[in-house]
Amino acid sequence: MLRYAVVIFTVVLACAVPASAQSSDDLFNPDVLQRIDLWLNSADWEKLKANFQENTYYPAQLNWNGITVENVGIRSRGLGSRRGTKPGLRVDMDHYSTGQHFLGLKSFVLDNLSQDPSGIRETVTMRFFTRLGIPAPRETFCRLYVRGVYVGLYGLVESVDKTMMGRVFGEINGNLQNDGYLFEYNYVLGSPWRFNYEGSDLAPYKTRFDIKTNESHGDVKIWGPIEELVRLVNNTDVSQWDAIVGARVDLPEFVRYIAAQNFTAQNDGFNGYDGMNNFFFYRLEDSTKNVFIAWDEDVGFLQPDFGITTRLDENVLTRKTLSVSTYASQYFSALLEAADNASDWMRGEMQRQFDMINDAMIADPVKLWTVDEYQAEKVKLLAFPDARITYVRCEVAKTAGSPRPAGCQ
Amino acid sequence: MKRARLKHTLLLTSLLVIIAVPVAAQTKKKDRRGFVWDDRPTIVFGEDINLEIKGRTLFEWRKFDPDIGEDIFHLRTARVGMKGKLTKHFDWEIEREITEDKNKKVIFGAWKDVNIEWNTFDAIKIRGGRFKMPFGMEQTTGISDLDFAYRALGSTQIAPGRDRGMMAAGDLGRFNYEIGVFDDDGDNAESNEPQFVREGEDLKAVGPAVAVRVIGDVLRVLPVGRLRSANVGIAYTNSEVPEGLNSLRGESVWGKHFFERVYVKGRRQRYGAQFDWSPGPASLKAEWMQSREDRKEQSNRDQDLSTFIADAWYVAGTWFITGEDKDNNVKVKSPLLEGGPGAIELAARIERLGFRSAATTGLAFTNPRNDNQVPNSDTVFTIGVNWTTSKWTRVIVNAIHEDFEDQARSPLPGTGTTSFWSGLVRLNIVF
Repeated sequence: MLRYAVVIFTVVLACAVPASAQSSDDLFNPDVLQRIDLWLNSADWEKLKANFQENTYYPAQLNWNGITVENVGIRSRGLGSRRGTKPGLRVDMDHYSTGQHFLGLKSFVLDNLSQDPSGIRETVTMRFFTRLGIPAPRETFCRLYVRGVYVGLYGLVESVDKTMMGRVFGEINGNLQNDGYLFEYNYVLGSPWRFNYEGSDLAPYKTRFDIKTNESHGDVKIWGPIEELVRLVNNTDVSQWDAIVGARVDLPEFVRYIAAQNFTAQNDGFNGYDGMNNFFFYRLEDSTKNVFIAWDEDVGFLQPDFGITTRLDENVLTRKTLSVSTYASQYFSALLEAADNASDWMRGEMQRQFDMINDAMIADPVKLWTVDEYQAEKVKLLAFPDARITYVRCEVAKTAGSPRPAGCQ
Repeated sequence: MKRARLKHTLLLTSLLVIIAVPVAAQTKKKDRRGFVWDDRPTIVFGEDINLEIKGRTLFEWRKFDPDIGEDIFHLRTARVGMKGKLTKHFDWEIEREITEDKNKKVIFGAWKDVNIEWNTFDAIKIRGGRFKMPFGMEQTTGISDLDFAYRALGSTQIAPGRDRGMMAAGDLGRFNYEIGVFDDDGDNAESNEPQFVREGEDLKAVGPAVAVRVIGDVLRVLPVGRLRSANVGIAYTNSEVPEGLNSLRGESVWGKHFFERVYVKGRRQRYGAQFDWSPGPASLKAEWMQSREDRKEQSNRDQDLSTFIADAWYVAGTWFITGEDKDNNVKVKSPLLEGGPGAIELAARIERLGFRSAATTGLAFTNPRNDNQVPNSDTVFTIGVNWTTSKWTRVIVNAIHEDFEDQARSPLPGTGTTSFWSGLVRLNIVF
């Protein structure tokens, strides 16, 4: 009798553990290539692919690692990355069921990797940023199965939302940081913007900053502080920079963020080739201070000799912040710190991620690149870290007028 | 501003018309050829050939508690049309809505009735064109003859309304029958989304719909006293609905959605029953109706889901305190313009419209592909006074109380409020 009881208890425990003990850290575990299953009506999957430019939601069932979530909503997502053959997806837990969560998450993103032949640019960058203390979403990869059929290798990306803000910023003065004002920067095609003041009307700021929390609050409460910040950034003398702009932007964090983007040779980021792009902006709860959150870093690693001061004079916030000697010095220090951090990690991490996704990438039935293109990118990317580390160290030394390290040209 | 201008222009024009009408009516019936103004402006070509001009405007002043963001002054309906006789064998009718385009320019809107009827024999009349499908007693009553400002919810959301088709109808003594075949399934059930066609598939049409209604005074054979004069009827419709987010949906009196569409595919059937009793100045009316929609292959795994069901009923009573007989053509005993009080009628109605799935087991969600749908309903109580001042004008005062079963899908979700009061004063001008 006792033996049967023990066997039954063990079986029950074995079944229960996968469901109960798992967390969002397990889902985004960077060491694991996950498998995600979505079950949605065959007509809906066809419709979603045919209408991939629309944000229409479709009901689905989600399965991961023994956990089933009924009634999730999925939709096509992305800006330039949208594809009908391999749609990027947003998976919302509470679209059809208010308050529903999955491992504490309200949503996550399935990135179709449509802009990166290597597949790993974004995941390497986000892990690197996290190592440098820059707020960034957790990411790994998954094989996505729709209706039981493998439909491709996807990036599995944490949504930048209230839940993530609470995780990243924790409690400040006893207040969990999950109810501030979160904005996604909206790149407006044909209207590059570099933090220039656009007048007291809130409309241009509403266009560029999509509110993601507290949407029901009034315009003045939501976008008024952004208008004020942009005005002050443009009108404040650098002698008062810390007191006035520093009270509204976490300037040390901002400097680390732009330095990290420069180190990864990100050409389409805050100091991008066509103005600002690809970031979230969070006004901390009960505070005037704003921080930058990394997003969509899938076109980095452009070239190892990407200039360390590329376009630093174009953006008003960047230019004026770095004209304060303390922050200029911090910028170059952050570049060197990034180089140090990358030196014993980045190439190995790239290789590890390539090893993890290789089979899934090659088997991807709708990948947007040939295997040869993928292999060529692999070679190119693996050569990047060492060359970039040397280049950055040499250029920083050159700028500072200090002795140049070995290997400089 | 321009919208307000349209409303005010129509109001002023309508008032001028109804003041002019009694004067013009003085000359009626002296010569039955040429232009005459009996109930409406008419050109008489001969004994059985004429052309009547008809129009109607319905204005409302409304109040909401709590506020749900609706306009206070509202032009409910503006329509113009023509009807007439074409020999003693045919009647015909055309009616169209007047509305505004997005640039606030006044334009003709949707066609309402466009039909011709062959009516040589009482036992069989044939009607063709666009007209109301024979389902729903209140739905097939003209908007200006209703006892309340708004039809019961079931009449506008389960009953199909107008469509293009052919119908045979007739009077068989104790029974009237109507049976028709229609292109689609009525304006009230129009598809919500464009049909999605996979490669190699053909576009599937909604319908054709078949509608049947039989009404009779079957209580005449029973020992039920004055109730023997009551009419009772049953109705049925059947159509095929193509795959899509195309089910019927729940809208409150003021058009707020309290039940969104779900995915359907297969048959849509409606069942209806009606009761109508008008003893002297009072009336008692009641209807019950139900729609049942198939959801074949509509689950996330392409399996069949349980039938999607909408139920509605109402019971309504009216009483002319000024003593007029309640029939389809109320004759005001003492019109206002002749120094009388007009006809004053009290009215009350209780009704309910609800949506649910046949399946009630398993987790209930609002997901449009879930087997067990979270039910929701709107229970409405309306009381009112109808003041018929002349044969062309009527003022309707209604107080409406709505109560929603699911707060999350009420007009103000998240506020904890499920009950809403509203009131309106409606001016009907019809000629």
